[in-house]
Amino acid sequence: MDIMDIAVAGVIFIGAVYILYRSIWKKKGHCSGCNGCCSKTKDKFLL
Amino acid sequence: MKTITVAIAGNPNSGKSTLINAIAGTNLQVGNWPGVTVEKKTATLKIDDLIINLVDLPGTYSLSPYTQEEVIARDFLVREKPDLIIDVVDSTNLERNLYLTVQLLELGIPIILALNIYDEAKKKGYEFDIEKLQELLGIRVIPTVATKKEGIKEILNAIKDFAYGFYNITPKKINYGEDIESSIKAIEENLKVTNPLLLSKYPSRWLALKLIEGDELVMKEVDLIGDETFLQEAKSHLFKSHDEDIESMLADIRYGIANGVTRDVLKKKDGKRVDFTEKIDRIVLNRYLGIPIFLFAMWFVFKFAFDFSAPFSDWIDTTISGPVTKWTFHALTVVGSPQWVISLLTEGVIAGVGAVLVFIPVIAVMMFIITLLEGSGYMARVAFVMDRLMHSIGLHGKSFIPMLLGFGCNVPSIYATRVLETERDRKLTALLVPLMSCGARLPVYVIFIGAFFSDHAPTVLWSLYVLGIFMAIALGFILKKTLYKGFAPVFIMELPPYRVPVFRDLMIHTWQKLKHFVIKAGTYIFAVSVIMWFLLNTPYGVEKENSALGRIGKTISPVFEPLGFGTWEASSSLVAGLIAKEVVVSTMAQIYVKEEVEEEKEGVDKEKGFIDDLKDAFLSFGFAIRDAIENLISGFGIKSLSANEEEEQRPLKSKLQGIFTPLTAYAFLAFVLLYWPCVVVGIAMKQEFGSWKLYGQALVIHSLLAWFVAFAIYQGGRILGF
Ligand SMILES: Nc1nc2c(ncn2[C@@H]2O[C@H](COP(=O)(O)OP(=O)(O)OP(=O)(O)O)[C@@H](O)[C@H]2O)c(=O)[nH]1
Ligand SMILES: [Mg+2]
Repeated sequence: MDIMDIAVAGVIFIGAVYILYRSIWKKKGHCSGCNGCCSKTKDKFLL
Repeated sequence: MKTITVAIAGNPNSGKSTLINAIAGTNLQVGNWPGVTVEKKTATLKIDDLIINLVDLPGTYSLSPYTQEEVIARDFLVREKPDLIIDVVDSTNLERNLYLTVQLLELGIPIILALNIYDEAKKKGYEFDIEKLQELLGIRVIPTVATKKEGIKEILNAIKDFAYGFYNITPKKINYGEDIESSIKAIEENLKVTNPLLLSKYPSRWLALKLIEGDELVMKEVDLIGDETFLQEAKSHLFKSHDEDIESMLADIRYGIANGVTRDVLKKKDGKRVDFTEKIDRIVLNRYLGIPIFLFAMWFVFKFAFDFSAPFSDWIDTTISGPVTKWTFHALTVVGSPQWVISLLTEGVIAGVGAVLVFIPVIAVMMFIITLLEGSGYMARVAFVMDRLMHSIGLHGKSFIPMLLGFGCNVPSIYATRVLETERDRKLTALLVPLMSCGARLPVYVIFIGAFFSDHAPTVLWSLYVLGIFMAIALGFILKKTLYKGFAPVFIMELPPYRVPVFRDLMIHTWQKLKHFVIKAGTYIFAVSVIMWFLLNTPYGVEKENSALGRIGKTISPVFEPLGFGTWEASSSLVAGLIAKEVVVSTMAQIYVKEEVEEEKEGVDKEKGFIDDLKDAFLSFGFAIRDAIENLISGFGIKSLSANEEEEQRPLKSKLQGIFTPLTAYAFLAFVLLYWPCVVVGIAMKQEFGSWKLYGQALVIHSLLAWFVAFAIYQGGRILGF
């Protein structure tokens, strides 16, 4: 592994941590069946 | 462009969400029990240049709310002042539903009454005088069958006509009698002078009535304590002429009106049929048979789930560990990727995510069955049957509904606790919910059951679910004596009639539940797989045992030693499972993957081309469908998991067989069932209860519980000579 590899690996690692953070914290685990989590989203637009 | 806001209000289970789905083509959750919707939701619809915001509200029996979701409904109606209310009424229960309608009239907001579930009322031989009903209440009345989209066009036209001012709806002011009317007047007059701001916030007649009733919630909201002189004066003559409390007097008047109107507009001819619902209930709700029937139904469900899903799981497994891995490997080699990238993708991502994807078919079948349970009306019966047991832990049967929903995913169950009356009930129920085995735990069970108990697969799976329920009651019992003291009042819950769920709804709701697991696999199981690969390969090139993850695992493994699975592999997988329970399986798959890929590289089928592999995959999918159907038809236990044993063993399974014994495997499964709830449950608890405290309690209590139960199983089993 050279420096380049380590840099790429670092980016991938951070990317994975970010995806994890986003889907668990921001998207509340993508919980779709639950009524509680999506009060602000409109369910469907028929515009 | 004109916008109007239309609130959809009505009693629980009257078909409000179904009606919105029919009008706007949305997929709001629908189920045949009271309390499905616990949060207001908006669907937007555009017709010509009219924008209609349809707001789905939780069901409520009155505008004096008891539970949190009822508060949500009331607050919206009272504070946000929608332009129009569609009052969805269950026409098979007209009188009880009109009790709410009478209160909606007090708001002074125009109302369209949807006489829903008209089909069932017709079948029962009910006949309605719609003209008369319109006349008596001063509102529009439209019969509807939301499930069949009957009356939807009429509702839409009525909304449109109303929005464009083609006609007016002036709800009748119900006369509450001289005494009360004069009090209402006095209060309104007084507020006009002393507190006009308040009157601009709330409908004045409604507010006056609530102040007369002395409604605690309203008093608090408007900062009145009740002994203000103007209130005392306005109410004084009421106290003189009526000794009973004014609140129940008003309730009596409203019931009287609902009863009178019903008698005027509804004629009941004799329905021809014997009540089908009653017949089934006589057996299903039987004092002694109720719980055994529920337990047997569960066993049957697992049998079905295994038989039907096994061929598809096998297909996904073969495809992923075979062609997908092979061709990813080839493709990466061709483009000259470094060795570590190949390993990250094949041994990290494909092995990890693949291990979870394999179980999507089982999860799908389970979600289908849970949706069926929700739609048929049996769910409310289970709550009823469990009522006695639940009382022993100071809760009532209603708490069992969020718990049952937890078989799908624990997260929505935490929100579903809103249907319970007190904060204590809600918190206690939320603490018990994670003991209900959610879909995410299925992959762990199924892989271990396949490796150790394939002859008794459904029974072992069933035993785990029952263990979860049993432990929930046991834990509830302890908590009732310690942290959450209290008693539950008598159980009041409406039992809806049995209904055959609409097929489209069934499919949509199954998919909505399943989607959650698929998205999870694609996002955070994926992310965790990548992270785990790094932990398994730092420092790069060492044995897995000496990697970062290996060392973490070794440090904690002594904790699990007395439970029979004190290996670093099991320990680190269990810790990672905090993120999501599927991760236990994905991490194990990554740890044990090595040999598999190596074998693949030597390439048994190397000579096979891409197209051939693709063809094989399609063909074998066809076989999987055939096998699944055959399993279903040939009924019980002839094929299914045991039949697959002749096929080549999957590496993860055979690895597990080398490390666990049936006894330690069962202890491990019990541990996975009971130990700490995943972080997303924690976030939901924080959101609902305002602090991390409850999740903190759950982490400690459940981990201890899991440890002791697994300990008892392992040590007990050893003593018994397993
Ligand atoms: N036969 C018949 N069933 C209906 C009709 N409308 C709704 N249902 C059924 O009634 C049940 C309740 O429907 P929901 O739309 O969930 O009721 P809701 O009023 O939103 O209930 P909550 O959200 O719990 O207050 C479901 O099983 C529907 O399939 C109808 O017009 N006819
Ligand atoms: Mg609803």
